[in-house]
Amino acid sequence: MSAQLWALAVAGAVVLAAAGLESFRSRRARSLAAGAAAAPAAEPYILYFTGESCTVCRTHQEPALSKLGDVRIEKVDAVAERTLADRFHVYTLPTTVVMAADGKALHVNYGYAPAPKLGRQLAEARGIELRPVATA
Amino acid sequence: MSTGTQLVDHSALKVNQTGIVATVLIAFIGSAVYRPLLVLIPLLAIVLLLGTFAPQLALFKQLYFKVLKPRGIVKPRPVQDRPEPHNFAQGLGGVFLAVSSVLLLAAPVLGLALALLVAVLAFVNLAFGYCLGCQIFFQLERRGVLKPSTRSS
Repeated sequence: MSAQLWALAVAGAVVLAAAGLESFRSRRARSLAAGAAAAPAAEPYILYFTGESCTVCRTHQEPALSKLGDVRIEKVDAVAERTLADRFHVYTLPTTVVMAADGKALHVNYGYAPAPKLGRQLAEARGIELRPVATA
Repeated sequence: MSTGTQLVDHSALKVNQTGIVATVLIAFIGSAVYRPLLVLIPLLAIVLLLGTFAPQLALFKQLYFKVLKPRGIVKPRPVQDRPEPHNFAQGLGGVFLAVSSVLLLAAPVLGLALALLVAVLAFVNLAFGYCLGCQIFFQLERRGVLKPSTRSS
């Protein structure tokens, strides 16, 4: 039985280390991608990085995006458009980037992002756009 | 962007993942009282590797297509998808279980731990839809190690 317990401990340690590394990698990529630029638009929009090998994109991310209503979704093949994917440090699929109207990245989500989260990020993007300019 | 996709029955994938998790758990827990049950790990490695290269020999998928689906025990869930990343993930699981089988002879703790990790990853895929093997496939494709499927303009 002791071999099983030791194996459980080793596997647990590997899972914890992987989770820690993933968290670090995600935070690092997010900070590097923050403020990266793409084409400006009239309204905030979403850059949606996907690929043919991404099942979660089809089964989870696309239904979530369709719940957002009136927002432009710019679908990008992360394998075919590598330069753009590299600019946003896309290391996993799906990746969604909430872009401000001026073409700057406001929020970068690595992995599946549910509709309420994207909705909040979009509302924030729109709020920034609508904030009145202070006058003397 | 959908030129390389076809209808993939995700229920077959789920049955395959359930089979992996169940077999590793039986080997892991059962070997504490009856050590020969560890033979399930190399057998599972063979099943996964054979199934990767010859789908008609994929034991758990055949169980689904020949028994569970026709009898209505598991309902089909066809999704427009690419089968290659899933096959790659299955093959990777098979390779890790083969390494685990060798380690079981020399360093049983490491062998068991590696088999357990394969089961954990299969469970994560089964329960949350996160496929690590598919992410590795994406990275290899992105770096040009694997050739992306033919695309239309």
